[in-house]
Formats: sequence, C-alpha cells, structure tokens
Amino acid sequence: MHGGAERDVMAVMPVACMPQTNRQTAAACRRAAGCLAMLALLGACEGRQAVLNPAGQDAAVIARLFLGMLTGAVILWLLVAGLFLYVTVFRVSHMPRRWAESLIVGGGVLFPTFVLAGLLSYSLPLMSSQRTGGDGLVVHVRGEQWWWRVTYETPQGNRAVSANEVRLPAGRRTEFRLTADKVIHSFWIPALGGKTDMIPGRETVMTLEPAETGLFRGQCAEFCGASHALMAFEVETMAPDLFDEWLRHAASDAVPPATEAARRGAGIFAAEGCGACHTVRGTPALGRVGPDLTHVGSRHSIGAALLPVTAADLALWVGRTGHLKPDVEMPQYDHLLPDALLDLGRYLEGLK
Amino acid sequence: MTDPARSHDATSPRPDEDRQAFAEASESLWRITFGPALWALHFAGSYGVAAIWCAKVAAKGQDIAPLRLGFAVVTLAVLAAIGWLGWRSWRQWDYLGDRDYENAGANHEDRHQFLGHAAFLLSIVSFVGVVYTGLPVVFVQACR
Amino acid sequence: MTASAPRAPRPEGPYPPTDEMLARPVPSDLQEAQADRLRAAWRTPQGWRYWSAVNNSEVGVWYTLTAFGFMLIAGLLALAMRVQLAVPQNGVLDADRFNQFFTMHGSAMMFLFAVPMFEAFSILILPAFLGARDMPFPRLSAYGYWCFLIGGTFVMGSLLFDAAPKAGWFMYPPLATRELGIGSDIWLLGLSFIEIASIAAAVELIVGVLKCRPPGMRVNIMPLYAWYVLVVGGMILFAFPPLIAGDFLFELQRSFDWPFFDPERGGDPLLWQHLFWIFGHPEVYIVFLPSIAIAAMIVPTVARRPVVGYSWIVLSAVGTGFLSFGLWVHHMFTTGLPTISLGFFSAASEAVVIPTGIQLFAFVATLMVGRVRMSLPMLWIAGALAIFVAGGLTGVMLAIVPFNWQVHDTYFIVAHLHYTLFGGMVFPVIGGVYYFYPFIAKRLLSERLGRIAFWLIFVGFNVTFFPMHIAGLEGMPRRVFTYPAASGWGLWNMISTLGAFVIAGGFAVFVYDLLRSMGRRGDIPRNPWQAGTLEWSHDIPEEAWGARSIPYVTTRYPLWDQEGIVARMDAGRYYLPDAETGARETLVTSVIDARPLHIQTVTGPTWITHLAAIFTGGAFIFPTFHLYAPAVVCAVLAVAAIIWWLWTATARPPEIPVRDAGLDLRLPTYASGVNAPGWWGMWITMLGDATAFASLVFGFFFYWTARPDFPPAGAEHAAPFWVAAAALAFGLSWAATLVARQSNRAGSRGRAMALLAAGFVLTVAGCGAALLSVLALDPAAHVYPAILWALAVWLCAHGGVGAIMQGYCIAGLVAGKLTPDYDADLCNVTLYWHFLALTALTACAVLGIAPRLLA
Repeated sequence: MHGGAERDVMAVMPVACMPQTNRQTAAACRRAAGCLAMLALLGACEGRQAVLNPAGQDAAVIARLFLGMLTGAVILWLLVAGLFLYVTVFRVSHMPRRWAESLIVGGGVLFPTFVLAGLLSYSLPLMSSQRTGGDGLVVHVRGEQWWWRVTYETPQGNRAVSANEVRLPAGRRTEFRLTADKVIHSFWIPALGGKTDMIPGRETVMTLEPAETGLFRGQCAEFCGASHALMAFEVETMAPDLFDEWLRHAASDAVPPATEAARRGAGIFAAEGCGACHTVRGTPALGRVGPDLTHVGSRHSIGAALLPVTAADLALWVGRTGHLKPDVEMPQYDHLLPDALLDLGRYLEGLK
Repeated sequence: MTDPARSHDATSPRPDEDRQAFAEASESLWRITFGPALWALHFAGSYGVAAIWCAKVAAKGQDIAPLRLGFAVVTLAVLAAIGWLGWRSWRQWDYLGDRDYENAGANHEDRHQFLGHAAFLLSIVSFVGVVYTGLPVVFVQACR
Repeated sequence: MTASAPRAPRPEGPYPPTDEMLARPVPSDLQEAQADRLRAAWRTPQGWRYWSAVNNSEVGVWYTLTAFGFMLIAGLLALAMRVQLAVPQNGVLDADRFNQFFTMHGSAMMFLFAVPMFEAFSILILPAFLGARDMPFPRLSAYGYWCFLIGGTFVMGSLLFDAAPKAGWFMYPPLATRELGIGSDIWLLGLSFIEIASIAAAVELIVGVLKCRPPGMRVNIMPLYAWYVLVVGGMILFAFPPLIAGDFLFELQRSFDWPFFDPERGGDPLLWQHLFWIFGHPEVYIVFLPSIAIAAMIVPTVARRPVVGYSWIVLSAVGTGFLSFGLWVHHMFTTGLPTISLGFFSAASEAVVIPTGIQLFAFVATLMVGRVRMSLPMLWIAGALAIFVAGGLTGVMLAIVPFNWQVHDTYFIVAHLHYTLFGGMVFPVIGGVYYFYPFIAKRLLSERLGRIAFWLIFVGFNVTFFPMHIAGLEGMPRRVFTYPAASGWGLWNMISTLGAFVIAGGFAVFVYDLLRSMGRRGDIPRNPWQAGTLEWSHDIPEEAWGARSIPYVTTRYPLWDQEGIVARMDAGRYYLPDAETGARETLVTSVIDARPLHIQTVTGPTWITHLAAIFTGGAFIFPTFHLYAPAVVCAVLAVAAIIWWLWTATARPPEIPVRDAGLDLRLPTYASGVNAPGWWGMWITMLGDATAFASLVFGFFFYWTARPDFPPAGAEHAAPFWVAAAALAFGLSWAATLVARQSNRAGSRGRAMALLAAGFVLTVAGCGAALLSVLALDPAAHVYPAILWALAVWLCAHGGVGAIMQGYCIAGLVAGKLTPDYDADLCNVTLYWHFLALTALTACAVLGIAPRLLA
C-alpha cells in the first residue's frame, strides 16, 4: 500500500459523492436558514453528512439542543475571559476580599450547580424519547470490514437483503438492530440522528425518524482498521409508498442480463467464482461472504460509498479492489483484461 | 546536649505520634474524604444495581418502578448522611466561633479547623453530586 | 496497624524550637566544616559515573527532558498526519502508516509525556517545596526513570520498523486482539512496563508528601502543589491498576488465546472498554490537576499575595479526584448501555464541572485581591485559562447524552480534547518551565523569545483546533486517513494544517530558547519572581544537598512571612545542618503535623537500578516476540537485582541508634512499622495492587451481567477441594508470618525463623493448590475457565512474591539484618501479607463459591 495505490484512491474518489439534486439542495438551504446565522457563516450548515443540517426528528432535537448550549457557552466564555482580563490587565489594584470570596461561592458553586441541574433535567428525558420504539419496520445492519450488510424486515416478516445503502420511509420511525462481524463499528447518519456502536457478539438497538425525503450520507464512526476512512454508505429517505414499492422490488430476484455484453459479463462472473462470496438471487451465486449483489445496479454507490455505479467504475473496482481499499478481503481481479472487466461491469450495472 | 528533664516535657515529639496520627489525626485526613467516598459508594452502587437489574430482572424497555423507588430511598438516606457529615465538619470548622476563613496558623486548632473546613466543602460538593446522580432516577423511566 | 518496636529509641529534646534557639549563632568555621561534609555526602558523581546518580535534581531533569523529547516526537507525528489531511484524498501517508501515527501520537502523548511529565516535574521540584534533601526513595525514582527510558524507546522505536501499534491508543478489541504483527503486543507490554514505573513514582511522591515535609509544615499550611501531588498520586494508584489488569487479560488473549474479549467463546469486547476508561478518564484529570497545581504556585506570586480560598482549592482537588472516577462511561455513551446507566454518568460528568470551576474562580479571586504583575509565566497561565475554559464548555455539552451520540468519535471531540489538554496541561507546563527554570537551571529564559513562542503557540493552537469543531459538526469522523472532496471538509482541514505548522514554529522557538540558554551561566537573583514558597531558598550556584538545613516552617509562604528564614537555612541553624556519618540523610516527620520523627538515610549513586531496569525491561520486551525463556531469565535476574539492592541499601540496623538532628533535638536513625517511609510505600503500593485485583474480580461479575451464559450451563468448575486447600494454606501462611513478627519482637529469633520457614512452605503449597484447582479446565475453550485461570495465575504470582519476602526475612534473621529492635522488613512483609491473605480469600471465594451461587 504505498505511493501508487494512494494515487489510485485520489484518482477515483472525487467521483464518489454524487451531486445533490436541486430538490435536495433547496431543502438544505431551507434548513440552513434555520441555523444560527453565525454558524451558517462558518459553513457548518452545508453537506449531506452534517449534524446541523438535520433531516430527521432526532437530529433536529439535537441540533436545537446544541445551538442552545452553544449560545450559553459563548456567553460564559466571554464572561470568564473578560473577568480574567479585567482583573489582570485593566484593574490590577486590590479589590475587596469579600468580592473575591463571593466570586468563588457564586461563580464556582451556586451558578454551575443550578445551571447544570437545569441542563440535566432538560436533557435526560430526551434520551428516552430518542430511544422510543419503531413503527414496525426493522433494519438489521451488520458492520463488516469495511462494508454494511443490510437486511430489511417488515412487520409481516418479509425480508430483503441489501448492502452499503439504507433506504427509509420518511415520517415513520424505523428500528435498527445493529451488530458486527469481526470488529467494532459505529452506525451513524448525522442528518437523521446520533450514532450507535455495532459490537461483535451483541445486538444494539436504535431508532430514527426521517422528517423529509432526500439523499444523505452515513459513515462508520468507530475506528475499525486500515480502511476505516472508506466505510460509508448512502441513505435515501423516501415517501412511504415509494419506499414500500422499492422494498418489494428489493426482495425480488435479479433481472437476467439484457445485453450481449452483460451476458458475457454474467459468464465471467460465474467462471471467476464470484458466486462463492456474493449472492445474486435467482442465479446459482449464493455466497454470503461479501455484499449481496442482486440489485447492485440500482444502488447509489459501490464499495461502501466509494464509487458511483457505472460499468466503468464497477470494472475499476473489481480490477483494483485492494488499491482502492487497503487490506480489503476481496481479491482484485487484475488478471482479467480490461474488456472482460468492462463486461463484468455491464452485467453488474444491469442488476437493477 | 539534651537536658534529661526536658526530654519528656509536653513539647517533645511523642514517638508514637504517628500511631495516633493514623488512629486519630490521620483519620481526620481520611475524614475529609468521607463525603466524596459516600458519593462514590452511592454512584457505584446505583450503576451496579441498575446494570444488574436491566440485564437480569427487567427485559429491556420495561418499567423499572421498583428500582427507581429503591434508588429514591437510598439516595435520600445518603443525602442525609452527607448532610450529617457536613454539619459535623461545619462544627469542626467553627466559622461562627472565630470567623476564620483561612486557618493558616501553625497550631493544632487551625489544622483541626482547616480539616473541618475542607470536609465541609467536600460535603457540599458530594451532596450536589448525589443529587445529580439522583436526577436520572427522576427523569428516566426505562432501561432502554 | 503495626506499632514501632517496643524498645525503639524515641525522639528527645525540645520541639518546636523557640526564637531564641533559632537565633543562636553557629560559628563560621563549624558552618564551613558542616557545609563541606554535606557537600561531600551529596556530591553528584562525575564523568561517566554521572549516570549512576539517583538524586532527584539529576533524575528529575533527565526524566523531564526525556518526557519532553517524547512529546516532540509525538508532535511530529501529528504534523505528518495534518499534512496527510490537508487536502482530500491525499497520498502522503498510506492508511497503515497513518494508523500507526495516530495510535502512537495518542499513546505517546498520554503514556510517555503527560503522566511521566507530572511525575518527572514533581520528582524534580517537590523536595524543594518541602525543604527536603531528596525524595524518600531516590533509587526507586532512578529505577522508574530507566524503566521509562527503556520502555518508551522500545515503544517509540517500533515506528522505525514499521511495526508500531495501529489499533488506536485505546486498543479496542477485537480489532486490537485480531491485529496481525507485534504492534499490539508492543503497546501492551511496553506500556504496562511504563505504567508500573508510573505507579512506583506515584508511591514515592505520596510518601514524599506525607512523610518528608519540614518540621512544622502541618497539612493546613503545606504548599498547594503538595496537595495536588497527594491527590494525583492517589488517583494514579486507583486508575492505572484497572488498565494493568486489562493489559494482563489482553496479553493472555494475544499470547495464549484465552478468549476474554472474544464473543464467540463467551468473552465480551466491552469489558476492555470499561477497564480502559476506568483508567482513561481519571487519566485526563491526572494530567490536568498537576498543571493546575503549577498555576496554583504561579498565581499567588503574580498577585503578590497568598492564594484566596486555600481550603476551596484543596476541596476542588480532592473532589475532582473522586468525581473523575465516575465519568468513564461517557466515552461509551454510544455502546448501547441502558438509558439509566448513561444518565448516571451524564450527571457525574456535569458534577465534576463544579470543583473544576471552583479551582479556576479561586485563581481569579486571588488575582482580584492582589496587585497583579503580569509576568511571562502568567501569560502562559492566562492562555491556558482561555483555552481550557472553552474546552470545559464543550465538555459540558458532550456530557449531554443525545448531543454526545451525534458528535462522539468526530473531529468535534478531537477539538474538545485538545482544548482541554493543551489548555489544561501544555500551557501551564510551559508556564511552569518558564517559572521554575531559574530554580532548575540557575538561569532565566528569554522574555522576548518566550513571548514570541507564546503567541505562535496560542494563535497556532486556535487556528488548528477551532476549525475541527466545525469539521466535526459537518460529520467528519476521527481517525480517518482520508476523506472525499465532496464532503466539504477540505477547507477546515487545510486551515488546521496551517495552524499546526504555526504551533510547530512556536515549539521550535521554545526549544531554541532552552538550547540557547544551556551553555550560559547567568547571574540571576535567588528569588527572581519574589515568590513566597521554600523552593526559592535554593542555592546559587547549585548545591546538590537540596537544603543546607531543613527549616522549621510555620506559614504557607515562609519566604514572605518568616523573616530571615533563608539566612538561617544558609547558616545551618535549622535541622540536619551536618552529615556527620557521611551518609545522605533527610528528615522524616509525622503525617498531619509534621513533627520530626527520625533521620532517614537515603540511598546514593548506584548502578544496580540500571541492572534492575534492564532486566525488568527484558522480562516485558521478550514476550513481545514470544521469546518466553529469555523473558523468564530476565525476570529472575530482575528480582535478584532488586533483592540485592534492598538487601544492601535499605533498613540496615544503624550503628548509632540516636543522633543529633540540630536545634538540640535527638532523633532515632531507624524506624519500623508505621513510622517508616518503607511501610507507607508498601501500604500505598498494595492499595494499587488490590485495585488491580478488584478489576479482575469485576471482570468475573461483568461477564455474569453481560452474558446470559456465564457461567455456562453444565460447565466444569474449579476443583472445590483444591480451592479450599489453597485458601487454608494462604490463611495459615499469613498467620505464621504475623506470629513470626511477634516472636521476633519478643526476642525468639529461632521461632520466628521456623514460622517463616513454615510460612514459605505453606505459600508454595497454596500456589500449587490454586493451580491444581483449575488444572483440569481448558482456558482457551471459553471465557469462564479463562477467567478462573487468570485469577489463579494472579494469586500464584502474588504468592510467589510473598514466598520470596518470607525467604528474605529468614535470611535477614540469619544475617542479623533483622533483630528484635530493627524489624522494618518484617513489618513491611507482614503488611504485604495482610493484602495477600485478602487477595487469596477473595480469589478462592470467586473460584469456588461464586460460580455455584450464580449458576
């Protein structure tokens, strides 16, 4: 993993994040207007992964909480620093001892005791409200090194397996059941709410309630090894009816390859033994080691939000996996000729 | 050099002073930590009991009313104990007696009052600490 | 409690001294003769032998410079990381190297800089605050230093071989347990080794504060720095052992595949997080409080009046010390613990703000009532305050759980922790360097360069770390080696990187200033800041004796309030003005009121500490490479070196039992039991040891609460017969040791020897029984047999030390080192055995009884 490999990452990563649609940009702007002007100036209110750009119930509550605390903190800092400056620079002569003692009692004991008690009384109940149960849909997410295995489970017991992407119905509260394969990861969608760790051998639970539709970005927040930085995912929040429709599609089998190139790609897929690790439902490929590829062509990204889903990018990924993602388990198929890789890319791209 | 007659006078160091320091005077070094130690016991106990209760007794998300009631009783008892410690150390400080805030003298009395003062202040902080530890019991209704 | 031996001599003579006694002149020829003898006794070895020095003024300087050197290296690592992150998708460092760098940056800053720096600085200046000649156990400081140097170089050196740990300074399993290569082992063993040295230093500092104060310095007038040392030493004692216990389990898993953190075999990765943060959060305050202590010394000097609210500051130090142990889960808010548990830790995290605030307001109050003279050290303290308050306020936010869920493990945290640690540690320490430099080096640093360095570092700091708040709020996680361009984090990262270079420039100026002044011999006043505390009675030019005579202290600021004290000290009118026997001596006083108790001979230059440190190092370093045979050889040699050192240099029966200590006071020259510093050292060490053991027991019960299948149904338990036998053997051995002490006191040496011999045999039998009780269990199969094995191994290791101690006492009785009157070793060993008996009984209860109750 030296020089050359890194340049590969450099070369491909700029395309990793897709531009926002106009609709989403407009929504972001509306949200930005709600932020404190000062922070908007600083630029803290832009981006699909920003804490202060909330698109969910929980994130909005937290953003409000933060802005309140920030206001208080700025005032307190100015008061303390100002007082210090005053007594050391502007008024260096003696002041009455009684003032000094009152300062310790008032500033050191009484003021913080009551302010902090107030803050705690306000924030402790928020914890429970952010952990209220979901409306029915359960999303199982398993952190792998370095990608996300996602399984949707409806109250009726229907399941759909996907990877590296989370789609959620807006306006409904969804429960996440989180675990991890080998090492600890942390599941985090800043625009929707706080994070929860994914721990091998445990199942942690969190719930999120998107308030609006849009495309957001989540990322692993717990250091999980070499490619920790490259473990992200796309999040799409959808209108509930569109979501239900999508989920039905996600549970269905893969579409057969439609073009000649894609059929050649399917052949390579089978010949190279890709099915030993990957599942493409409706084909003999039933591997469970790597991400489910049944509908990979319909996702927003591949490689855990590393590359967009075009035939060329898929070919690049399969041919240079280890260069793009240090220490990744998937072997890179650099023995395949560019044309073969591109055919494989076409096949995968067609798995809508 | 030494006058034998003086070797046993009241001002000569007593050889077993440290023994007494440990039994009595050093106890007073420990005593200033009684308040915070009560906080620590209450805190560790609350954490431990809650952890066991949530893991073994209540399924996650269930109501924890008996647990909260127990916490409330214990918390009040600990607060009373700290209050009593605070009262005792306030007496030891004897602020109303001599209005001495600094206790900086090189004598037994100032040392004694200083330890009282420190213990008193630590009782206050411990009291606040226990009240804070009690807040989650008031505001959190479930393990989950 | 162990009383002194019945026939031990007592202090005789008048105390406290009267003004008339203090005014009595000392003839000048006697003064000179005394000074010459003292100088000879305390002479620092010359030439290559210089490195055999153990005096606090030498060891303290090496220690400080080494810790500072490690900080500079860790800082360079940070600079390299900032270069990598300056622009998106940068390729300067690859993922592997970046991960090594951030792991080592954190580990080195915490383990090789922050904590050692406090200890180094305290070893260097604490005796001067107390008018003492040296620390109570100088060779222990030297041993600690050499351990630190070896361990630190080993851990840091791994970077050169591209083999450094790379799982983060927090080493979370399963990532760190699964990590290939030896990086994790280097971290675990190298740093455990340093942690043990840290605990040794903490023991010594606590004993120094409790027992080596000058006569008259009661607890209500000791310098605030000493209070902080006491509190921080105590915190180290309770914070480091859980980590050592964790390291023990972790290394057992790495080396022998005992599955403590492996969920597939019943283990739980969260146990490590608990043990690590029970250490890790107090650690933050262990780093912060000593720096506040430096501020507590500078502020009154600057205000030119005694500190306002001395009791308040003592309260805040002690209170912070306690509360800091109730915060550890706020590093684990996102691990899915029950809401109510999170609530407790959220509340405690807010409560700790109160004593911290009191501390800061007491300083402001002092400055209010004084007439402030803004000096260079104070400028650094002012900078510290501005930065630390900002870090504290973000800390208040982070203690609020929902907000923490959002920004945990983001750059917001990186910003917060650097605001607290830079403001709470780095700035005050540099202020302390400027303030104490005249005391340490007998020279002044440049005022102009100091101001340049300050503004560079202050501005650079804020430019670097303020934008990180924003990057974090925009969603940038920590510990990422790269980020996509579309994230929008590029601007903030570029600004941070530029700021980092400004900080580096500031440090370059500071280092240049230090180096520049090295060669010079300035002509500085003795008390350049007109401070009021004892360290400014130091001699110029330097004398190695610490204090020419040990003063009688009656005020908090003796140099302000006790007229003529320095002249009297110089004239040798106080205690111990002479070194009649040619040995190094210091005065031991009582804990509360500092009454003189006895004269303590302290050890001088030696090479044995180097040998002991090298072999100890070998015992820790060889296992990294799975070379167990050389490790065992080294461990044996290390024990042998330490026994040799103790045998030849400590608790030898004195030739003259009672000696003149000055001012007509005659003091014993030997102490055993509670009067002896060694007894206190043992007591304090064993508190730490008991904490480590308690952490293991916590582990056992943690598995029970965290796992539904612990102990697993139908699992094989420890053999009840052997568990009972072990408990019995250890209990009897304890009783034998106890009775041996009494017999020796009563004069029956033979019976004491026989009892100790019986004790020795029983101890060995107890160890054997403990091992037999778990022998049938396979520790690699499941965590339940593994934790039972761990408890048995822990008990055996302690039993082994207990047996060695019993043997040491038999040898002492045979050789006449231990007599009915001089039985310090036997008292200390008995004390050890009290703890060992408790450990054994608890371990046996957990092995034999607990599983049957819980199953």
